[in-house]
Amino acid sequence: MTDSPPPVVTAQHLSKWYGQVIGLNDVTLVVPPGITGLLGPNGAGKSTFMKLITGQLEPSQGTISVLGEPIWGNPALYFRIGFCPEQDAFYDRMTGLEWVTALVGLNGVSAEEALRLARRALDLVDLTDAAGKKIGAYSKGMRQRVKMAQALAHDPDLLILDEPLSGMDPIGRRKTIRLIKEWGRAGKNIIVSSHILHEIEAMTSNILLINQGRILAEGNVHQIRDLIDEHPHTVHVKADEPRALARQFLTFDDVLSLRFEDEAVVVQTARPDAFYARLTGLAATGELGAIHEVTSPDDNLQAVFKYLVKS
Amino acid sequence: MRVFDFSLGEMLWSRRSVFLALLVGGPVVIALAIRVAVSAFSGLPRINGSTVSGSALFGMMIWLIYIRFIVPVLGVFYGTSLIADEVDDKTITYLFTRPIRRSAVLLGKYLAYLACTVLLVLPSVVLVYFFIVPLGGSIGESFPALVEDLGMLAIGLVAYGALFSWVGARLKRPLIIGLVFVFGWEPGVLLFPGYLKRLTIAYYVQALVPHAMPQDSAVSVLMQVFHEVPSVWISLIALCAISVFALWAAGRMVETREYVLEQ
Repeated sequence: MTDSPPPVVTAQHLSKWYGQVIGLNDVTLVVPPGITGLLGPNGAGKSTFMKLITGQLEPSQGTISVLGEPIWGNPALYFRIGFCPEQDAFYDRMTGLEWVTALVGLNGVSAEEALRLARRALDLVDLTDAAGKKIGAYSKGMRQRVKMAQALAHDPDLLILDEPLSGMDPIGRRKTIRLIKEWGRAGKNIIVSSHILHEIEAMTSNILLINQGRILAEGNVHQIRDLIDEHPHTVHVKADEPRALARQFLTFDDVLSLRFEDEAVVVQTARPDAFYARLTGLAATGELGAIHEVTSPDDNLQAVFKYLVKS
Repeated sequence: MRVFDFSLGEMLWSRRSVFLALLVGGPVVIALAIRVAVSAFSGLPRINGSTVSGSALFGMMIWLIYIRFIVPVLGVFYGTSLIADEVDDKTITYLFTRPIRRSAVLLGKYLAYLACTVLLVLPSVVLVYFFIVPLGGSIGESFPALVEDLGMLAIGLVAYGALFSWVGARLKRPLIIGLVFVFGWEPGVLLFPGYLKRLTIAYYVQALVPHAMPQDSAVSVLMQVFHEVPSVWISLIALCAISVFALWAAGRMVETREYVLEQ
């Protein structure tokens, strides 16, 4: 029997509220090693979760541990954590190199070592040429990258990146995604948040879906698909005779609802596999006219997310 | 020390430093103007018909400009901003997600404030001294008083800065509270007899001043009527206790307080 690697984050009945407003509601989860994407619309509770796992907020209820230790009031743990916050905030008068050197210097390394680590980090995010420029003169993408440099300069075990691709141009995005994947392959643990599905999808298949302060689903895309199969599944069938098809569908015991859209019938089924099997049979006989197109909005991650958010 | 280095650089190049430079440069300009005027008109300045020596004039400037205005104002503006500025600028996250205690961050920033203000205020006082005191007086005679002045002003900066670091860490509108304290509460309670004046910093700082309190206005006269002077040792102990307690409380506050940044 082999020991499985310890979880990166463990939360038990974790809640956080700001006065009367709930930021996070009774979340219990385990974030495994590797890259994990935290996905949710604006205001879903991502930032609250990020602030809790970086020790900026204290849980109102429940517990949270990061790399096996409680994070609130435990500054020593930041030797092992690098955090790239969402806000576009800097000491604009400093150059990128000065800023990263100053911050990594707070990790207790010597001035020479801090400078070496800062140079290496800026090189990793492709900012070597701009290292001597004032941050105030950086573009949005460069500012995002210099934030990442300060997070990774001390070579942490866990990188926490809050919306790291926000404001980046397409090339910058592609580079950053590649960088994050490389770090993941190098054995780093990364938690990365975004409200854009394809960004997360490009980095990892291990995701946490969050909305209205709750974790809707966790695991890889396939596990989430399994989860979806426990919920009504929507199928969009475009056919010559949608009303005839609908009458036939009503005889299926797994069909939960029906509606018409243009020349299509939209079906909600509790057992998608059985439904698809019968539909294939109907299409093969051709008794109810031609079936032109069968699509499901649940076929990609975007749809999975929308589906779970709606449910 | 890293937070100190980091914060000192930021403080020296901040907009607030322009204000600080104007504040401490003002008395130097006034002193220079007096010196030029005295040289031009070949006579000592007169106030209310009486001739005033350079040494007495210097004492007045210490009281009216430095003790009653510059030191408390610097304490309020810098002390309350140590953490509040980082929160407003949303840069606090970078400091609070590093492997150092939050109270150490506060202490480093407080020491940077102290270095920044002491290094600017004390040279300003020395310049004023050299411009003003030679007018009808001797530098040699009054030099020990200058050393006392410098020490007293530094202690005032220590105490006011510590108190307002706590206020800044504790309250949402620290600047307003600070200004009310130094321009409302302190002069107010110092006008009347009783124990309330012990709840000020000015009461203890004023006991360390080696110059007589000037009677420049009716309020000053009233103040002097009820002027109680604690001993130097009591003042020093009280200021030390206030500073240590305020810094401890400020450190405790930042350790336990959540700073929720506006998105």
